[in-house]
Parts: sequence; C-alpha cells; structure tokens
Amino acid sequence: MDKKISVKVCLGTTCFVMGSANLQELIETVPAKYGDKVDVSGVPCLGLCSIDWEFSKAPYVKVDDEVIKEATVEKVLKAIDEKLK
Amino acid sequence: MFIDIDCSQMKKYNQNAFGDYFVSKRYPDESRLVAVLSDGLGSGIKANILSCMTATMLLKFISNEQIPIRQAAEIIMNSLPVCKVRHISYSTFSAIDCYDDGNAKIVEEGNPDFIWIRNGEVMEPQYEIIQSKTFKNRKMKVYKLKFKLGDRVIFCSDGVTQAGLGGGRLKLGLRREGLIVLLKDKLAENPDISSSELSTYIVNQARNIETDRNPKDDISACVLYFREPREALVFTGPPYHQQKDKEYAELFWNFKGKKAICGGTTANLISRELNIPIRMDTTISVGKLPAVSYMDGVDIVTEGILTLTKTAEYLESGSIDIDNAAGKLVKFLLDSDCINFLVGAKLNQAHYDPALPIEIEIRKNIIKKMAKILQDKYFKKVTVQYM
Repeated sequence: MDKKISVKVCLGTTCFVMGSANLQELIETVPAKYGDKVDVSGVPCLGLCSIDWEFSKAPYVKVDDEVIKEATVEKVLKAIDEKLK
Repeated sequence: MFIDIDCSQMKKYNQNAFGDYFVSKRYPDESRLVAVLSDGLGSGIKANILSCMTATMLLKFISNEQIPIRQAAEIIMNSLPVCKVRHISYSTFSAIDCYDDGNAKIVEEGNPDFIWIRNGEVMEPQYEIIQSKTFKNRKMKVYKLKFKLGDRVIFCSDGVTQAGLGGGRLKLGLRREGLIVLLKDKLAENPDISSSELSTYIVNQARNIETDRNPKDDISACVLYFREPREALVFTGPPYHQQKDKEYAELFWNFKGKKAICGGTTANLISRELNIPIRMDTTISVGKLPAVSYMDGVDIVTEGILTLTKTAEYLESGSIDIDNAAGKLVKFLLDSDCINFLVGAKLNQAHYDPALPIEIEIRKNIIKKMAKILQDKYFKKVTVQYM
C-alpha cells in the first residue's frame, strides 16, 4: 500500500485566530471521506507565521510537504485529491 | 516550608454582605506571611465595614514592619469604639505573623481561640494576656510559637463555634470541642487535605448544623497548613537568543516539580532539543482555545497567548472548573504553591499584524498580570524570570 498522506493543521496562536479553529473539522471529515489513506492531526505550531510574517498567510496547513497558505477546508481537500490522483 | 493558607466564608442568612473579613499578605522576599480575620459587630453592611476596617488597618500596621504585631493589636484593641446599643466593642480579631521557618506570633481579641493541630493532636500553647488600658472588659492573648512541618492552624469566627446554637441537637452549638472532633475526623480521613478544602469543609459543616441550614451569624474559617512546597514551572515563549535554546531546554528538564509549556513554538523547541515527541489531543477544541497536547514528562502543554490570556481571566473571576486548555492550566497552577515562570522574550512579528484580533497581548504583560493575581488572590509564591 502507498504511504499515507499526512495533513497537519497548525493550531498555533496566529493560525488559530486566523481560522484554523474552523479547520479542525478536517480531523473528523477527512477520515470519514478518505478512510485510512490520509492521516490528519493538529500540531502545536508549524512555525511558518514567524518566517512569513510580512505577508502573513495564516492559517497554514501542511499536506505532506506542501504548505497551504490561507488554508480553507476546500483548499485542503483539493490538495489531498491532487495527491491521491 | 510553605504556608498553605485559605479562608472560606458564608454570609449570615438573609444578609447581602459578609460580616467577617479576612485579609492576608505574603512577602516572598522575607518568606513571611501576615493574615488577619476580623468579625464585625452585628451583621450585613455595618459588620462588613467594621470588620474590613479592623482587618485592613491591622494588616497595614503589621506589614509595614514599623509596628510589631503585639503593639499593633494593642493599639487597635485600645481604640476600637464601643457600640452604644450593645456596649461591646465594634469588632474582634485574630492575627498571625509567621515565617517560612515556622516562627510565628499570634494575637487574638474576642475571636474563638485558634486550634493548633500537630500529628492529629491539639496543642495547648502558652500565651500572655494583655489587658486593655482603656476598656476593662477587653483583653488579648499573645502567642509566640514555632510551627513544624505538617502543622495546621485553624482560626474561625464565632459563627463556627456557635453554629446550631439553640437548635434541636446541639443546644450549646458546635463549640470548640465539636469543631475539634470534626477536624480530627477529617484529617484522619484525608491527612493531606489542602487549606482551601479544609476551610470549605468547616464552613459547610457549620452551616449544616444550623436550623434549616440558614446561618444565624457570619461563618468564617481560615486554615494554615505548613507543608513542603509543591513547585511548578511554566515555560512560555522561546528565548530571545536562539543559541540559548538548548540551555533553557535543559533548565526546564532538570526542574524538580510539575512542568507546563504554554506556546506552540516553545513546545516545539523543547521537543526538538530534548527529543520528546508531541502528541496533540485529538478531540476538537470547542470555542476559542486550541486543545492541549501531550509530551512525556511534561504535565501540561498548551497554546501560548490565547490560553494564557484566558487563564488570567479565569483566575481573576474565580472560574476554576472549566473544561478547556485554560481551565486545565488554572487547575495546574492552583495545585501548586510556588510557581516559577520562565518567560522567553522573543517576539513573533506575526502577532502584531493589525488583521489579528485585538486580544493578542504581549506575553510579558499577561504573565505580569497573572503573577499578581496568583500572589494576591490565591496566596501563591510567584517568581518570574525572563530570558
């Protein structure tokens, strides 16, 4: 079987207030949709906001190594679909 | 030794203000604690004002170090006015001035004698009686004592000892003897009970024996417990100089006591330096705070600014039983006696984006506020170290 796709939702301060609070629903919806092909979890901080602070694009989500800026549920699902193709 | 102190109170039935007043102040630099419990004549607002004035003035006299406790109490005793109706003094008081090494002085005027329990037995300390020069019917007791690890001292207002007075079962009320029995039983059952729990227990028991559970007087119980301090460390924010990460991670790890990490970056730093994986709580955090995460050897791991701000808010308002990350942090803090904050001074520029909600405060300010609340309201020993 192929390697699982890992989805990491940043739950650091910046991301959380910029919308990752709502992205937490992925933790439930993704396994329901993709079964065990995708692994979703929250992480304390991806450390991206402090690097990218001038052009803050929080919230951030990482799908494998791909960083999704200004992440939304749709964007994340699309990225997962791309990977699964 | 750490002196765990707390006071629990209940108002007289049908009154809207407490007629007893308790104040306490800790001086971490001098390892000293001063506390006063005063019972104002009558009840309600009037009693509240009388007891509040007596207690705060006495505390002020003693704590300025200018007047020793004995003289301070004497001045108050000699100057308290007499009630025109009842011909007795406006208020009564008990005060304690004690140090971490166990040396203490206690003065009492009019309140029930304090109870000193060591190894389950009630001690009967020597005291000196000072007669008031201005009022024949007033005298105070002065004690010079040395407390040991495990000792407990209980002060109460006459609302406790006279609880149930004239009622069916206890015609003379609970009295000192009854209170001692209650205390001994409780301590035998739960030897490590905290002062906060014990004082609440006393007050509830006193209320339970009142007719219809309606207190006929203000009920107050203040408990001191001399014990080994429970140390806690809160690590929040990465250090200003990144090359110090390793040093601070080790400082954190070598700390003997309970540990908390507040901050995603901080958690990552510790995880990276000490090679401990972080596991996130998989439950979805409802409301405004990210869920806690877990690391082996660390008691609690939370997000930073938002959680700390909320924690300070809960501590200030006294909401101590809330099931979210801040509620857990509140419990962590209140279960400790000495709380050390290790605060990283590094700023995250992203937090200053005007697009972010205004609630995002500067870490140093939140910690400063929280330290003050923990010290003043919860009588904790707090140190803050910046790095």
